[in-house]
Amino acid sequence: MKYEQWKGFKEGDYQNKIDVRDFINLNYTPYEGDKSFLAGPTKRTKKVMEKVNALLKKELDKGGVLDVDTEHVSGLLAYDAGYIDKDLDIIVGFQTDEPLKRGVNPFGGMRMARQSCEAYGYKLSDKIEENFKYSTTHNDGVYSVYTDEMRAARKAAILTGLPDAYGRGRIIGDYRRVALYGVDYLIEQKMADKKRYGQNDMSEDNIRTLEELHQQIQALKDLKGMALKYGYDISQPAANAKEAIQWLYFGYLAAIKEQNGAAMSLGRTSTFLDIYIQRDLDNGTLTEEQAQELMDDFVIKLRLSRQLRTPEYNELFGGDPTWTTESVGGMGLDGRTLVTKNSYRMLNTLYTLGCAPEPNLTILWSEKLPENFKKFCAQVSIDTDSIQYENDDLMRPVYGDDYAIACCVSAMKVGKQMQFFGARCNLAKLLLVTLNGGMDEYSGLQVAPKGKKFEGKLDFDEVMAAFNEYSKWMCRLYINTLNVIHRMHDKYAYEKIQMALHDTEVHRFMACGVAGLSVIADSLSAIKYAEVTPIYGDNGLICDFDIKGDFPKYGNDDDRVDSIAVSVLENFSKELKNTPAYRGAEHTLSVLTITSNVVYGKKTGSTPDGRKKGEPFAPGANPLHGRETSGALASLNSVAKLQYNCCRDGISNTFSILPNALGDTKEKRIDNLADMLGGYFKEGGHHLNVNVLDRAKLVEAMENPAKYPNITIRVSGYAVNFHKLSKDQQLEVLKRTYHGEL
Amino acid sequence: MNYKARIDSVYNGSAVDGKGLRCVVFFTGCNMRCGFCHNPETWTEKGNEIELTELVRKIKRYKNYIQNGGVTLSGGEPFLQAEFCTALVNALHVEGISSIVETNGLIADEDLINACDGIRLDLKNQDGRVDSRVLAFLDKCEELGKDVTLTNVLVPSLNDTPEKLNIVKNIKNKYSCIKELKLLAFRKLCTGKYERLKIPFPYEKYDEGTKKDLDKAYAFLKE
Repeated sequence: MKYEQWKGFKEGDYQNKIDVRDFINLNYTPYEGDKSFLAGPTKRTKKVMEKVNALLKKELDKGGVLDVDTEHVSGLLAYDAGYIDKDLDIIVGFQTDEPLKRGVNPFGGMRMARQSCEAYGYKLSDKIEENFKYSTTHNDGVYSVYTDEMRAARKAAILTGLPDAYGRGRIIGDYRRVALYGVDYLIEQKMADKKRYGQNDMSEDNIRTLEELHQQIQALKDLKGMALKYGYDISQPAANAKEAIQWLYFGYLAAIKEQNGAAMSLGRTSTFLDIYIQRDLDNGTLTEEQAQELMDDFVIKLRLSRQLRTPEYNELFGGDPTWTTESVGGMGLDGRTLVTKNSYRMLNTLYTLGCAPEPNLTILWSEKLPENFKKFCAQVSIDTDSIQYENDDLMRPVYGDDYAIACCVSAMKVGKQMQFFGARCNLAKLLLVTLNGGMDEYSGLQVAPKGKKFEGKLDFDEVMAAFNEYSKWMCRLYINTLNVIHRMHDKYAYEKIQMALHDTEVHRFMACGVAGLSVIADSLSAIKYAEVTPIYGDNGLICDFDIKGDFPKYGNDDDRVDSIAVSVLENFSKELKNTPAYRGAEHTLSVLTITSNVVYGKKTGSTPDGRKKGEPFAPGANPLHGRETSGALASLNSVAKLQYNCCRDGISNTFSILPNALGDTKEKRIDNLADMLGGYFKEGGHHLNVNVLDRAKLVEAMENPAKYPNITIRVSGYAVNFHKLSKDQQLEVLKRTYHGEL
Repeated sequence: MNYKARIDSVYNGSAVDGKGLRCVVFFTGCNMRCGFCHNPETWTEKGNEIELTELVRKIKRYKNYIQNGGVTLSGGEPFLQAEFCTALVNALHVEGISSIVETNGLIADEDLINACDGIRLDLKNQDGRVDSRVLAFLDKCEELGKDVTLTNVLVPSLNDTPEKLNIVKNIKNKYSCIKELKLLAFRKLCTGKYERLKIPFPYEKYDEGTKKDLDKAYAFLKE
């Protein structure tokens, strides 16, 4: 027994080294029962929520940003303590000294910081401007190295959303370590690592690691200082449930103060926290009402996390998301379920606090999950449209049973693996560049090597051969571009506190992505099965296609076209691996667009599948709206064919169905949705966003926002408040297929 | 023997054509062509020809989803192709998949009634009388002990009158094989289909049924 705070816990390896999984495995209590034990919100919680809702309304009325602190550079010690109500808050801590006031983080790039202030009527203080005159930002670093070719591919939007001007995110600190061990032990361990690395030859790699360890140790010290501002000494382990949540939240809070990464995910914390809650329940120091109240107050804080963004950024990542992703459920390697009562409590916050897009609650679905829990999840989906599902049976064999999802669909072992976020390549655009002999169909600029311009009826084999050549070129350029970005991010915007909450020897992924999958699959299918002839405009570029005859369309469980989608991904994934990735990272690939499917569509000319210039793509791996005519299950089956093995960074599918189409009573809807999820994941599907709602309701909400102020929908790996989307994004959501409409 | 059938399409993922999630096979050809019909595209005799093995292969792709549901044979009128349907139902049984058949009840094919796992009979009382063949069909179901769900499309002002609802009520009361009675509200979502097929929509003039209409009719039937 090392710490008295561990009293009542089973002894194990975790007491001699950092091993949170071992702690969980030895001490958690699986729960197979139903939701009947759950408590509702306390009076205090309701009172706090009134204040929160008033704040949120004020924020929306002010155009999306309530306030900006332009005087300080965001950091762990930059601000005084902030509260909703000092007397009412149980779990404390905000990114700045007031809730919803956004901090400025210029380390990614000054221009972005300046513009995001200006977009909301603020001006970055002279002090910050002056300070950053003499320092290099991540953005400065990247642009000092970018080649002409990289700039051109970026400008033509073949590569888009690259994290070269903002924090890359998608790194999950193991915030649980703060609660389990206290910060002093974590510092001690990092200092030992530093000593060890000091014995190595001083190669460039080793020097970099030593410098990073130095920064990590400093960040841990700052973390203690940050907690002290709120009156907490977190040098020692948490002694009870309230402290465990508070310590863990401080770890997360430090990360979102230090970094403005696109996705700042929480990890897999519910079952870990259940151990503390259960201990307190057992020794009579906590009631179920109080347990729910603790989780409620924790979630309230998570819901109020904010980053300052530019309007252009919002085009790609609509709705002001933070991807505070929390992974819930799943199965243990020993066959016991990792569902605990606190998994229920976490989901129950959607009832106690009302539905909301964050935290991004992600169910790790297994065939073996307790039936009660499956039903409860289906009910939550039907009631709130706020949760997503990912296939634990597919991921557990790869990542073990203590992984979590970063952002939307990116799995990683908590505290042991991290990723270099690589945004995505526009495959539909790449096909047009191929057909135009390497020229961008918008600007006419030669963005890729010069090749044959395709004229007359397109021959499938010839197009495929050329497309594969351009894919080779693209993949090499893509990886090289990402190498530049991540080298510079490490150098100028290193995630000090998040990496301090990782093992020092960490496994890295180079997470690439593709957009426009359905467009390329249908386009190649059209070329193969119908007659497609390019139409050239006056500028000598293809402006449209003449399509004669019908062709199989992705989303109907038709192997003729689904196999094209499968092989495009396999080929792209293979090609990426031919170029070494920075820091020996393992190449992975995602099929995910966030809301960038709209902006990608805008920047892509007419395609051979009949999609017109400027029209949105389908999100993620979805079939294009209106082309799925064989039923919801056929659409799911098409997506389930995409191989997770070559898309280890996730395959996103967003699914909308009318309530009536799921059955005529609530009970039937719950059963049928659970069957649908079970079937999809058994077929090998990776991810599913579920919306059970009427298109009519969304139209009504669009016309009359006051009627449904809290309408939440799943878009692409995350949920948003519908009113926070741009008009274009709202229209695209309306255009999607709602299964069950005739 | 390799059976062939004419179908319009297969819809995978219905939750309103029987218990659980279902694949629905729409057979073509109809011997009734009701004025409220939602699927006029299935009236044609033509349709797409499909072999039994191919159809079974297609449906098997959804085995993981439909374990608590099954397959619904619909149309059109499936009993017009009763021999194929019987073979299909039997082949699906081998795969552990259950099937029900939707029908207007004009053709009481004993083999198909015997083979399937349930019947959904849509009772046509809109013009105030029920074909005697429908009663013969129900007699057969009663004799064979086959569960029947009786459906009836409720068209406001046409068949929500006490007189016509009593037809439904009397039949429901007469047969113990009828386990459930479901009123379906008349909908006009199919207007576009009629336009595309360039045929008149006979019930164009009627209003859609509302939840209120249904509640009222259910209340009457319970009396």
